[in-house]
Amino acid sequence: MAGQAGSQENKARPGQRRMAQWMRDYVRLPGTPDEYIAEDGAPRAVWTRFFDAFAALNPADIERRFASADRHLREAGVTYRTPGDSADRIWPLSHLPLIIDEADWQQLAAGIAQRAQLLEMVLRDLYGEGRLVAEGAIPAAAIAGSAEYLRPLSGVKPPGGRYLHLYAADVGRGPDGRWWVLGDRTQAPSGTGYALENRLVLSRAFSSLYKSMNVERVAPFFEAFRDNLRASADRDEPQIGLLTPGSFSETYFEHATLARYLGFLLVEGDDLAVSGDRIYIRTVAGLKRLDVLLRRVDSNSLDPLELDASSQLGVPGLIDVLRRNGVVVANMPGSGVLEARALLGFLPSLSRRLLGEDLKMPHIATWWCGQQSAREEVLSRLDEIAIEGAYGQGIPGFPGHGPVLGGELSPGDRERLKAVINERGIDYVGQELVRLSTTPVWENGRLTPRPFVLRVFAAATQDGWTIMPGGFCRIAERTDARAVSMGDGVRSADVWVVSDKEVPAATLLPAVDTVRIRRIAGVLPSRAADNLFWLGRYLERAEATLRLVRALVTPMRDPGKGSPTAQHAAERIQRMLVAWGAALQTARPNPAKIATEALQSPDKFGSALSLLRAAQRTAISLRERLSPDAWQVITEMTERLAIEVEDDDGVVSAAELTLQELASFAGLAQENMNRAAGWRFLDMGRRAERAINTARFGRQFAYDDANDEDLDILLTLVDCQITYRSRYLVQPLLAPVRDLVVLDPYNPRSVAFQVSVLNDHIANLPALKEHGLIERPQRLAVAAQAMLTTAEAAQLEVKTLFALEQDLLNLADAIGAHYFPHGPNASRPEKLTGLA
Amino acid sequence: MIYDIRHVTSYSYENPVSVARCSLRLEPRNGDGQELVSHSVEIRPRPAERTTRRDFFGTLTESILIETAHRSLRIDSRSRVSVSRRVPDRTASSSPWESVRDVALAATSLGPSSPVGYIFASPLVPIQPPVTAYASASFQPGAGILAGAADLMRRIRSDFRYDPKATVISTPLAEVFEKRHGVCQDFAHVMIAGLRGLGLPAAYVSGYLRTVPPPGRPRLQGADATHAWVSLWCGPGIGWIGFDPTNDLLVENDHIILAIGRDFSDVSPVDGIIVGSRKQKLNVAVDVVLVE
Repeated sequence: MAGQAGSQENKARPGQRRMAQWMRDYVRLPGTPDEYIAEDGAPRAVWTRFFDAFAALNPADIERRFASADRHLREAGVTYRTPGDSADRIWPLSHLPLIIDEADWQQLAAGIAQRAQLLEMVLRDLYGEGRLVAEGAIPAAAIAGSAEYLRPLSGVKPPGGRYLHLYAADVGRGPDGRWWVLGDRTQAPSGTGYALENRLVLSRAFSSLYKSMNVERVAPFFEAFRDNLRASADRDEPQIGLLTPGSFSETYFEHATLARYLGFLLVEGDDLAVSGDRIYIRTVAGLKRLDVLLRRVDSNSLDPLELDASSQLGVPGLIDVLRRNGVVVANMPGSGVLEARALLGFLPSLSRRLLGEDLKMPHIATWWCGQQSAREEVLSRLDEIAIEGAYGQGIPGFPGHGPVLGGELSPGDRERLKAVINERGIDYVGQELVRLSTTPVWENGRLTPRPFVLRVFAAATQDGWTIMPGGFCRIAERTDARAVSMGDGVRSADVWVVSDKEVPAATLLPAVDTVRIRRIAGVLPSRAADNLFWLGRYLERAEATLRLVRALVTPMRDPGKGSPTAQHAAERIQRMLVAWGAALQTARPNPAKIATEALQSPDKFGSALSLLRAAQRTAISLRERLSPDAWQVITEMTERLAIEVEDDDGVVSAAELTLQELASFAGLAQENMNRAAGWRFLDMGRRAERAINTARFGRQFAYDDANDEDLDILLTLVDCQITYRSRYLVQPLLAPVRDLVVLDPYNPRSVAFQVSVLNDHIANLPALKEHGLIERPQRLAVAAQAMLTTAEAAQLEVKTLFALEQDLLNLADAIGAHYFPHGPNASRPEKLTGLA
Repeated sequence: MIYDIRHVTSYSYENPVSVARCSLRLEPRNGDGQELVSHSVEIRPRPAERTTRRDFFGTLTESILIETAHRSLRIDSRSRVSVSRRVPDRTASSSPWESVRDVALAATSLGPSSPVGYIFASPLVPIQPPVTAYASASFQPGAGILAGAADLMRRIRSDFRYDPKATVISTPLAEVFEKRHGVCQDFAHVMIAGLRGLGLPAAYVSGYLRTVPPPGRPRLQGADATHAWVSLWCGPGIGWIGFDPTNDLLVENDHIILAIGRDFSDVSPVDGIIVGSRKQKLNVAVDVVLVE
């Protein structure tokens, strides 16, 4: 046993050395509090516990775990956009968590819960009785100036009984060691989904460390949040939607993550329709009632009829439905009025008046310049104060500015600032400059202090507020902590609230006895069905393109295959690739150039790369419906295909590799997707596209006097070489090849097989009309199947194949028009033009 | 004075429209120096739903839903209004503008007639330093509010060119101000922006003008369409007074108020969402006849 103790000691010693090294290097910023090192220079206990365990890992192991966290972020596609980005960026995650001691946290949480309660009461009065304004507790001007004070909602009672369902506060630790509120988020707070993802990534990368630290779980918070939304509806098993502005939104990933985690339907404004007193979701099975809408769209964009008339993100008539108590919207539109900084200074007295107690947590000192004494105070201390807009983002007269620091302005701008504050003080606040605490980040194997802002979330429950233990921490790259937003050079961190006791494990899996058994999940919005259908089509079309490319290049590498007939067949392939937009016509036949273009030209809309990118874009809008594996396959193959190939061998191997990856995606879909409507639409897209392409290949290569070479290529293109040879034992002949490729219902690559599967899908989808007549997609599919069932290979002619191809194109269009009347090709709602 | 007003709005569409959901604000105001005698609106095709309510500003708002496919929409509004307004002379003495500003700011109501709702930027009226500077030339320190606003109105009338082709509803205020041209709506927005920049409470009014002027007076600009002007709160004694910068007139008995709001977006007479059209053509005809 002595030997064992010795080896442990040996292990501990390098760890202690590393830790001592980190400590020595870690220098607090002057005049700034720090989370790790206390005022007296000693490290805080929770951090010491963490670094003790952390230092015991060997350096290579640490780097390996960091790399695994980064890889997970990349592969899961955890992304965000900053305004101006066209592509998603990977979410930068700090490798170290922010660690907060349980006792410290309890105080913070109590302060946040109290504040949430107060703000709810203020909202109730502002949009209701209006006593606070009438009695002078809040200046009317401090409300009227906010674009989020929504006049159409004055006097409207919030369905579900409350304004705030989710509230967030940005906080930082001040020099006095207390937590300070920097701002309130009452509109549609973002960050919960990222907090969840950060937790997932870090707890996975450092699983034993995470377990040993007794970190409070965040799952119960989400459970409480979900339960409250459910309970706010007026029927059991309510349908809850998460309203997103769409995949161009900078926080779309978060919307998809949350929708999937909470089991809500991810919807856009176009997915919803008002009828009578209610809101409905447009689904492939017609309109389905929606009970609760968790919105990530700002209030003013919610209803073009009553709010911002130019908005395309909302639902015309939504506000009127609220008036009729027909839907719960979380948070209630208009709640954002409380984000106005002008109000901060009035909260302490409001707390005493409404709650009968003092605010438990201070907020950053704020003077609203609409009041003369406050304005004079601000003007007299302009150099030590930050100037901000009183209501929303931006500072009138100083566009594009973060907070304006009087001391940093040129003399001219300084005078201008004074003038605008004197003229329209109501639009400005002054805020005290506070040095907020720093937290350690890991940089190049060292610890460095960085300022941060912590967003803390509160969810309403039947009896009070639940605070997420943890939150969303944003860390500044610069040492100046002001204005940490999701902008340049900012990373986020997981937040660990650490307990002395062991914490129970928790997930969102529901308890067994509370769940009613169901076999088919949820409803499928038309837009999602449309996207699934097109995802299937894009992937299948990419596959067809890759097969053509491979068929074009393979014989070029084989000197024996230079016959005139082979030349002729190669020219046909080139013409096909040009015709469907995969490559440009060349003056003289140039198969190598055309193959490379068709493989990976980013500017040809029909190239395999462009098609995969289209599939990827479509998949982004389906993020909450695809498994992480499926998403990963799409991302990886698209990225790989974008790498330039050098020669013909490169073309062939890139095409083959991508074909394999496409097959693995198809396998994932086949094996892992629930056989609900969603899977049917993905498969229908795939089958429709394959039927069309196979018919086209048949027409091009099995024409009436096709030669061996043509038929041989056809068998390769549709992957039927082996089947044919095992069945016929002769060289390719026209009628048997046509039978196998077009008519044979047992060959999974034939046209007939695809049509039969399509028929099966259509028959299993809900009928939309109740007139009892056969609907158009079914009519076309049944007709095509009848033709394919009764035709004889020997009597087939190329013009029949041509007609078949047209019928199949019509069938695909009919599916779109029938199930996705609101898809991208349908007419969008338009504004009536106004009056001059 | 009693007026009969006919206001016909017709849309024609290139393709059939399958669904139209509209808000109509076509009932003239009852109050503010006028009395609504009668009012009716006829809509073709006939809506499946028609509901009315008063909006925040007190305007009767009718929501309609049309679900029959149509290529044209015709909204025919008829009203009879009796107008009897007394307005002060533009040279009458009034409170200094600074005190009006301070009293407005101290208001303790968020209601529709509280001046505090009209001192801030609104969706179509941003507050812009050049516009504020332009307005401030009419408001010397201590100047009476009536005289100052009348002077600003006169300057807008002489500095800006009336040109119905120059702007559309979406033309931003900054462009109107820079190019010094536009229609009644633009002039009203410019004047409102200038007044609010100084902290003065200014509202937007939509309405009508009598079509045929009294004998010996010129026909007013904007008489054959809906018109727009400004209502300024001139302190607790005088209250809200109408200023028509398009015609350099204090609003008296030739103007009939339709609706009042912060800017055009609050009072748009016909507004809505349609599905299916692509191209649309709009025709508005207004006729205001003096009955007695």
